[in-house]
Amino acid sequence: MTAETGTKKSTILIIDDEKHIVHVVSLKLRNAGYEVISAGDGEEGYEMACDQQPDLIITDHQMPYMTGLEMCHELKKNEETSHIPILMLTARGYALSEEDLKNANILQSISKPFSPRELLDSVKGSLAA
Amino acid sequence: MVRWARDLSWKAALVGGAGTGLTALIIRLIGVGAASSLSMAHIGLMASGGAVVAFGIFYPLATAADRVFSNILKRLISNDNDNGAALLSATPAWLRSATTEFENALADRMQMERDISVALKESEIRQHVAEASRGHLESVLHSLRDAVVVTDGFNEIVLANESASELFGLNGPSALNGKVEDVIPEQQIVQMIQSMRDSGNVAARRSFEHEINDRNDDRILEVSLSCIPDQSQSGGGVVTILHDVTHERQVSEMKTDIVSKTSHELRTPLSLIKAYIEMLIDGEAQDEESKIEFYHIIQTEAERLERTINNMLNISRIEAGITHGEWDECDVKGVINDVVELSTPRAQEKKIAITHKQSQLCTVAEADRDMIQQVIMNLVSNAIKYSPEGGRITLTTGSSDCDRSILVTVADTGLGIPPDAIPKLFDKFYRIKNYDRVAHGTGLGLNLVKQIVERIHGGEIGVESELGMGSKFWFTIPCKRAA
Repeated sequence: MTAETGTKKSTILIIDDEKHIVHVVSLKLRNAGYEVISAGDGEEGYEMACDQQPDLIITDHQMPYMTGLEMCHELKKNEETSHIPILMLTARGYALSEEDLKNANILQSISKPFSPRELLDSVKGSLAA
Repeated sequence: MVRWARDLSWKAALVGGAGTGLTALIIRLIGVGAASSLSMAHIGLMASGGAVVAFGIFYPLATAADRVFSNILKRLISNDNDNGAALLSATPAWLRSATTEFENALADRMQMERDISVALKESEIRQHVAEASRGHLESVLHSLRDAVVVTDGFNEIVLANESASELFGLNGPSALNGKVEDVIPEQQIVQMIQSMRDSGNVAARRSFEHEINDRNDDRILEVSLSCIPDQSQSGGGVVTILHDVTHERQVSEMKTDIVSKTSHELRTPLSLIKAYIEMLIDGEAQDEESKIEFYHIIQTEAERLERTINNMLNISRIEAGITHGEWDECDVKGVINDVVELSTPRAQEKKIAITHKQSQLCTVAEADRDMIQQVIMNLVSNAIKYSPEGGRITLTTGSSDCDRSILVTVADTGLGIPPDAIPKLFDKFYRIKNYDRVAHGTGLGLNLVKQIVERIHGGEIGVESELGMGSKFWFTIPCKRAA
């Protein structure tokens, strides 16, 4: 699996209010050849997803204004964004249920602390699916 | 003679009143006398005696006398009827025997009366005990925090304790005997009571959860119903117990929330430490500058993690009463000067001016100096975080409570606090939503400050703020430690 689909690099949107999380994930994905865009909260992330139509979204769950889960529900409702696969990072003490994931169009929930290496594998798997 | 005897019978009946047995005896006696040669004197004696006895002992004794004279009469009849008068006159022992028998009967009757009186008293006592027991049970029912409603076979309310009255807004006795559907406004509960009554199954107990939605006071109730055995024509009733679990649920949600927030506060810096170390191992830092940047982030996040753990432990220790403070004379002005000196480099990065308006008053208090420094440091650190570039922070000291306490204020020209956030500002893990875009925090700092001021030092803490106009945090600590 390469980071390119045809001649175009895959674009990944990273949404997290922790700037260092955005930094480390972006660096890992850029080094792997992906195009990376980022947002600092759910509202901004939703607007960016609508505008940029990324190939994949990686979002944190616990964020101000609009949580990651709320944003995923909004993206699923929107015809223009309902097709975008989503990976969710969560630092909460419990995992989201299968039903929550399905209802919000989330392919996979990844618990923090996470390994950038394993996250990259998940990204590749999600884009290949 | 017959006419006289009839008069006598009428008089005896009149005097005897309820003593009908005695009157009957007299009539029967007259009948016998008329048929025989019984002398008028004897008859008169018998009738007069009967009337006097009837008058003296009234109705209760009349039946006893009736029995005695019946026996005498039977004896007379059973003997030679023709010679009855002779027998009476010839045997004075008869009268003695009759008197003795009468006295015995009278004694029996009096004993019976005493027994009845004792039985009546016992019955009265049992009734009092039963009433007291019922009153006690009612008191117990009314003292229960759970609401209890008892309905009968007609679905009418026969008992509702005070909690039930309060829960459903029942108006005292008027609610009793009312139809359950007219009195209880919650349709689901009414339907379950009716369904339970229809089932009539005394062995079964049904439970369900019901939510009462009120504008100001939503409640969650655990409702359990059971049938009362059928003891009347109306059929069995239903006992409904409503246990308010609102507070339990809130506590449970709060615990889950705290666990979740704690997890978030610990996992986030841990995530970053782990991720950057892995990036270094994998050679993702492409130059020396990137490596230094990664090391710096790892160090910052490790410190953040340490700070969070320390704050949590300190709060936990104070709440558990393990931390008591190291008490000594502490000059609060000196502590403020130290905090200003330590904070100035960070403030200068944002061009924020920190001023300490020193009081002329004595500001020495019996306190834990390190803890007071932590309080002021925390307040100043927040003021720097949430003030825009070029802002101002002003610290003052003064006295309050007639010079018995020292007052410290930390005022800034920052974002200010929304009014709805102020009551929750000192809660554990509370964060003002909009502030997250400005600066990160764990939501533990202000809670720790409050614990130190109020629990350790017996002081007070508060905040005055207007959105967009800055905030002024203040706290007081007593000059002398409470004994």
